[in-house]
Amino acid sequence: MDIVAAVMDPKGLEKEALAAAGEASSLAALNEVRIRYLGRSSALKLALRNVRDRDTGMTLNSVRETVESALDRREKELARAELEERLATERVDVTLPAQLLGPPKLRPRGTLHPSTLVRRDVEDIFLGLGYEIVDGREVETTRYNFDALGFPDWHPARSPRASLFLDDETILRTETSPAQIHKMEERRPPIYMVSIGRVYRRDTIDATHFPIFHQFEGLAIDKGITLADLKGTLLHVMRELYGPEREVRFRTHYFPFTEPSMEPDVSCFNCGGAGCPICKHSGWIEMGGSGMVDPYLYEFVGWGPEEYSGFAFGMGIERTAQLRYGISGIRPFWDNDLRFLRQFR
Amino acid sequence: MRIPVGWLREYVRVDATTAEIAQALSISTAEVNGIERVGVDGELGLFRVGHVLEAEKHPDADRLQLTSVDVGEDRPYSIVCGAWNFGAGAKVAVALPGATLPNGLTLERRKLRGQISEGMILAEDELDLGTDHSGIIVLEDSLEPGTPLADVLPLVDEVLDVEATGNRADLYAVYGIAREVAALFGGELLPMPGTEPPGDGAEPVGIGIDDPEGCLRFIGRTFRDVAIGESPLWLKARLRHAGVRSISNVVDVTNYVMLALGSPLHAYDLDLLRGGLVARRAREGEKVRTLDGEERTLSAEDLVIADAERAVGLAGIMGGEETEVSAETKNVLLEAANFEPIGILRSSERHALRTEGSNRWEKGVDPYVAGTAATYASQLIVELSGARWTGAEDVQAAMPKPATIRLRPDRASELIGLEVPEEEQTDILAPVGFDRLKSGYRVPTWRARDVTREVDLIEEVARFKLPEVPFTLPRRDAMFGRLTRAQRLRRVVEDALVGAGYAEVYNPTFVAEGDLRLPEPLSSEAAALRTDLHASLLEPARRNADAGADDVALFEVARVYRGRGAGELPEEHWHVAGIAEGGFAEAKWAVEQIYSALGLEPAYERTSEPFLHPGKAARTADGWLGELHPAVMEDTWGAFELDLDALADAAPEVVGFDPVSPYPELRQDLAFVVAEDVPAAELLDAIREAAGELLRELAVFDEYRGEQIGEGKRSLAFRLAFGSPEGTLTDEDVAPIRASIVDALATRFDAVLRA
Repeated sequence: MDIVAAVMDPKGLEKEALAAAGEASSLAALNEVRIRYLGRSSALKLALRNVRDRDTGMTLNSVRETVESALDRREKELARAELEERLATERVDVTLPAQLLGPPKLRPRGTLHPSTLVRRDVEDIFLGLGYEIVDGREVETTRYNFDALGFPDWHPARSPRASLFLDDETILRTETSPAQIHKMEERRPPIYMVSIGRVYRRDTIDATHFPIFHQFEGLAIDKGITLADLKGTLLHVMRELYGPEREVRFRTHYFPFTEPSMEPDVSCFNCGGAGCPICKHSGWIEMGGSGMVDPYLYEFVGWGPEEYSGFAFGMGIERTAQLRYGISGIRPFWDNDLRFLRQFR
Repeated sequence: MRIPVGWLREYVRVDATTAEIAQALSISTAEVNGIERVGVDGELGLFRVGHVLEAEKHPDADRLQLTSVDVGEDRPYSIVCGAWNFGAGAKVAVALPGATLPNGLTLERRKLRGQISEGMILAEDELDLGTDHSGIIVLEDSLEPGTPLADVLPLVDEVLDVEATGNRADLYAVYGIAREVAALFGGELLPMPGTEPPGDGAEPVGIGIDDPEGCLRFIGRTFRDVAIGESPLWLKARLRHAGVRSISNVVDVTNYVMLALGSPLHAYDLDLLRGGLVARRAREGEKVRTLDGEERTLSAEDLVIADAERAVGLAGIMGGEETEVSAETKNVLLEAANFEPIGILRSSERHALRTEGSNRWEKGVDPYVAGTAATYASQLIVELSGARWTGAEDVQAAMPKPATIRLRPDRASELIGLEVPEEEQTDILAPVGFDRLKSGYRVPTWRARDVTREVDLIEEVARFKLPEVPFTLPRRDAMFGRLTRAQRLRRVVEDALVGAGYAEVYNPTFVAEGDLRLPEPLSSEAAALRTDLHASLLEPARRNADAGADDVALFEVARVYRGRGAGELPEEHWHVAGIAEGGFAEAKWAVEQIYSALGLEPAYERTSEPFLHPGKAARTADGWLGELHPAVMEDTWGAFELDLDALADAAPEVVGFDPVSPYPELRQDLAFVVAEDVPAAELLDAIREAAGELLRELAVFDEYRGEQIGEGKRSLAFRLAFGSPEGTLTDEDVAPIRASIVDALATRFDAVLRA
């Protein structure tokens, strides 16, 4: 098509170019189409160079844009098709052993995530005390996540502003305690268990907050369990985790599913109690929550309120890892940076 | 809540130091996050009452005064001052040279525009008593010059930062903390403050409760000829140290009494009200402009305080702007009420409006304390604003009767694990308000909400005994404690991958798309629960490679979630997924390590997935492995994902073994030329079948292509080992087996024996 034709019938030119692009069956062929219709000496380019009238210029430019984008689109299609064609020829026998296929790289030993290291330590400490380890569900009903645990109606965790709901009655567990109710429904005491895993809160991500963290929660229910047993058990666990010189103290607190409720503190392993930035100059480090199982829970699973007694406690895996390894903030746990992870050999 | 200790000590007499109080409260009542010292730091004796003997304009500075002040020394002090709200004869607050102000400035004797200035005449902000800097503090005329200023003004105090728990509304009050301190140290708790001011209170107020569920009690009191003005310094200082802004005398009184007693109050400009006040549900769509200037559209669930025509406040949360007390106010209506907690909580959430008031109501305030609060506020309003108390009404819905709870002393000792004698239990409970009756302990009205059962009383005893409770361990008569099979195998898989060079990562549960969506997503990238793990590995793999890490190889062990339809909780499965720089062989190697660690030999089949290289993708019964499609990840990456639960189910529970034969095995290598598209696994199966029971080992050990093999064909070499429990095998013994293998492969695959 010559310049005159291009000026006279720009739509015809466009139609012809689009058809040619569609017909090109290889990248090489497509390149020829591009040169023919958009190249330096193509009718369109020559017409654009010579046209003086504004309307014609705009029409021709719009033709140029349409053709260019059609060519680009087709180029992507062809490139993908050619890639697929090439890949189709690169077949391996997937049943061969890796040694014959590669061989694979000889890599230095890898690493477990610091949270896994702590998790295993916690598991082993409780296995030593004769506890079961329970994973539990992460998606729970509000019945098990709140009602069974005696969360009052006003408790802020019941709000979608604080917790992650899937619908009105389904929630990503806000603590691992629902697993304890399931265990209580499954069988009678003695129950000695630790539930460990991911829990969820609606937190905005910043240096110290992430909507997901890991908890370990213990539950012991038996005949004649006392608050003194709770103190003794946590003293043992804290000394296993933070060293044999640690002391543990308890402060009264409030939790929906325990009564009495207490928060355990551990004497600071950094300063030994003299006061330092790690313990915020108090000599004590807050560890989590604990208390005697509220009789409400026994009634919930259909037991008498005084047949058994028990204690429960809960702590954070990340927090434990932060304290043990001196990691500050929460981001390193989720950044997955090998420069960090590979140090945990 | 911030508790100024000077204020606290007004209600309780104890010898304990502030540090001792903080420590004891932390253990038995509520955590004290810190003790803040406020006000003057340093030598208090340098702060004095001064008597201005002379005051005139500074000769060389128009905006300064030159004064001569009697500060109780043998000569007057010469002080240059920038304020003009006083003159000769005034009693003022003076800091002498050497004194350190709360802002850290230490005063010196120095010259100001050529005149000696020996100290400073102080404004309230310079003593951290308030924010005003418009003039200096003018003290009462009756004070003697030289009187220590600390005797006149609260120059120094300590503030406890008490973090009470949500079940203890009574601790959101200075008096409530004082009650605990008295109990902790055996100190004397003084009666709640407040005595009725003079006045007959006979004027009708017009108070009503329309919603007795939302409002238990509504006290209205009127005051006339109120002089709205600034609060006295002591009150400003108290509020400032408690963290509340001073506004005007009347408003400050409502805040002060709330902080003192825990029952929030509100003051209205009586002349702006049209008719009396009623507590009622809002009409759907009704509007009220609250004190913060926001126009709020109400729903029928909101409780409001309304006059005859309109809502004048969001009950318990915030008053209305139209009826607020202002500088022009002459007459005041004071509201002291009691609101039901859940309704306030919901309204406060609905309007995203939390206030000092709502924060207390939502925890459940004692309805009986409203009366004391009204009395105390009336006393202070009359004292501070010169008002006349003219009207009073107290409308009560069903006020709760105090409960009585039985406490078995043995049960308490048993649960605590410490013998606490009955008399001691009574002695512990009495000071916090639990009176011993014949039938049990009467629960004080301020604890009615959180003490309802015997176990709650046991907690009351236990919290005062915590440090004495011994450390014991449960006596067990049944023992268990080992990982479940699934947990053990999870560790095995993790360890296998670590051995293969992989680093474990943790990725969030949330992804952009998925069938289990969060109705209120955390973000567009965190809107649904993930259904696979490998997609989460791409970004960290790419990022680590970009950061220059060598041999990137990552894995994750976590759960994936699939919906099961309405009414059923989703399926949760443990998966393991990995990604590694390198090609198909990397993925295969890792998967082989996993299976071998679990004692499994999987069958691999060719497969296709949109994200995998079409020629380098395989699946097993438990998942897939392959080379990532170049359109998914640049460069060459291997990846895999397996269902860990399925793997654990498949893994043999018991290790099987064959006895070791005393006779040596006979080894033979066989190589076949076969068409490219015949998978090695099929040949292995055929060989195994043809070889029969004497075959001990079988493996592919070489793959070869070349001109002499021919186009479209390859040579695969197998290593075989034969053995028999009955004797040493010879080549002759094995020859027929070998022949049947060759025969089988030739028939089924056109395979030709090469060597």
